[in-house]
Amino acid sequence: MRWWRFVVASEIRKILAFRADFWVTFIGQTCIQIFIARSLWLAIFESSGKTMMEGYTIETMTLYYLIVPIGSKMLTGENMGFLSREIYEGTFNRYLLYPLSFFHYKTITFLTYSAFYGLQLALAFIGYQLLFGQFTLNEFIHLGYGLLFFMIASYTYCNLSLFIELISIWADNIWSLMVMARFLCFFFGGAYIPLSFFPGALQAVIHFTPFPYLISLPINAMMGKLHPIEMITGFFILLGWSFIFSWLSRRLWDKGQYAYSGVGI
Amino acid sequence: MKRYVRLYLFFLQFSFSKALEFRIDFFFRIAMDIMYYIVNIALFKILLLHTPFIAGWSDQQMMVFVGCYLLVDAINMTVFSTNMWWLPFYINRGELDYYLIRPVSPLFFLSLREFSANSFINLIIAGCFFFYSLFNYSQDWSLLSLIGLIILLINGSLIYYCIQMLMILPVFWTQSARGFIDLFYTLGLAMERPDRIFKGWLRILFTIFLPFALIASFPARVFLEGADFSTIFHLILVSTGLWLIVLYVWKMGLKNYSSASS
Repeated sequence: MRWWRFVVASEIRKILAFRADFWVTFIGQTCIQIFIARSLWLAIFESSGKTMMEGYTIETMTLYYLIVPIGSKMLTGENMGFLSREIYEGTFNRYLLYPLSFFHYKTITFLTYSAFYGLQLALAFIGYQLLFGQFTLNEFIHLGYGLLFFMIASYTYCNLSLFIELISIWADNIWSLMVMARFLCFFFGGAYIPLSFFPGALQAVIHFTPFPYLISLPINAMMGKLHPIEMITGFFILLGWSFIFSWLSRRLWDKGQYAYSGVGI
Repeated sequence: MKRYVRLYLFFLQFSFSKALEFRIDFFFRIAMDIMYYIVNIALFKILLLHTPFIAGWSDQQMMVFVGCYLLVDAINMTVFSTNMWWLPFYINRGELDYYLIRPVSPLFFLSLREFSANSFINLIIAGCFFFYSLFNYSQDWSLLSLIGLIILLINGSLIYYCIQMLMILPVFWTQSARGFIDLFYTLGLAMERPDRIFKGWLRILFTIFLPFALIASFPARVFLEGADFSTIFHLILVSTGLWLIVLYVWKMGLKNYSSASS
């Protein structure tokens, strides 16, 4: 089963094809998000007159917003919208000819991007801890947990994306659905503000959705904020969501492949 | 000038009939933008549960500011966004040739050809929230200050367009698929924050070199706290300078354009 290695190698070549563009975007995006978030939170801490809010100091909040942009990229893996565009253009046909399953191909492609961003996340986390905190065995273990959770979250998000993108076999455009899913994941996942700042009732409700497990759980694991029980519970809930979206996207594909015209629109 | 106005009316006619061709997408996009508005309003409402002010602005003042940037975003989504999405692809695939040989300004054509009819509905919704936040603001304001605010927000939309162009035009040199547009969307966060939170070099960056703070925060500040000469002078100077830079980079880019696809 060497096919996956070819897929991974080809995707890494694609990622690194435009190096200047890639690094400017990566470093730029990460730094900008940290600086803007830190500025906002400095203003909030100052006007509230507190040094700790909902378990966060300004330093831990900065670390939180270092993890958010790279972690979000890791979660969302390959850029969205490619599959639906292929369906519209009719170029989706190639997956039917490939000597491997469409699902395996797409999942490996998606996870290659996630792993690549995971590497960047690890480097950024270690760099930050060495410069502004400490990097002991504890932080190393937390980093490992965080990356593991992000990879499972990424697999879950991959299946959620596939599910939405496969709708384009029937609907004329699903780009806006993808954006909506992203908004929901990011807002209720804690990418914009940590979930502990949300009102209690809202927090209770959103824990019945997959969103907190996609972003907040991996970040909290990486920051060492989780109790072992929360970690184990979170791990199994995340796996459960991953299974649900995987099952849903496969069922949709089973139906969709017979509805797919192969002509495009 | 008359010719350009007539041409733009044709663009509108064409865009509306095109949008109604894909009806499901039409409604999905409206839902998407409404969700974006709700998320943005909720974000500040949640933050204001933990502090009475953000950068000196109270809940009501923050909502005026949020109304301002949602309105600017809606104007840009309606007028420019689809065109900006396709521009790097045209440059990259060598398809710009078709636009260069037409007897109208290519920059005008490429920037305004596609009018997003579905976003126009959202522009109305954003406008409603904008006016709601103004009428909900307990301090007195005059019609003149409202007109001033609207003019500054239109200027803000042009600043937004100019910065977006400056992030796309490097495609002429890098040959990449999207230029620095992803970076632009991240930088766009600066537009959604009150300018007073930025201090030191970050303030210089967002008020002069990448003037996102001038898009909505400065206009909101002028409306809420009154106009002063230095702020207005700053707005005029930076807006004019930015527009001249865009024209210069566009001309340089065209000189570098090879017509070959990448």
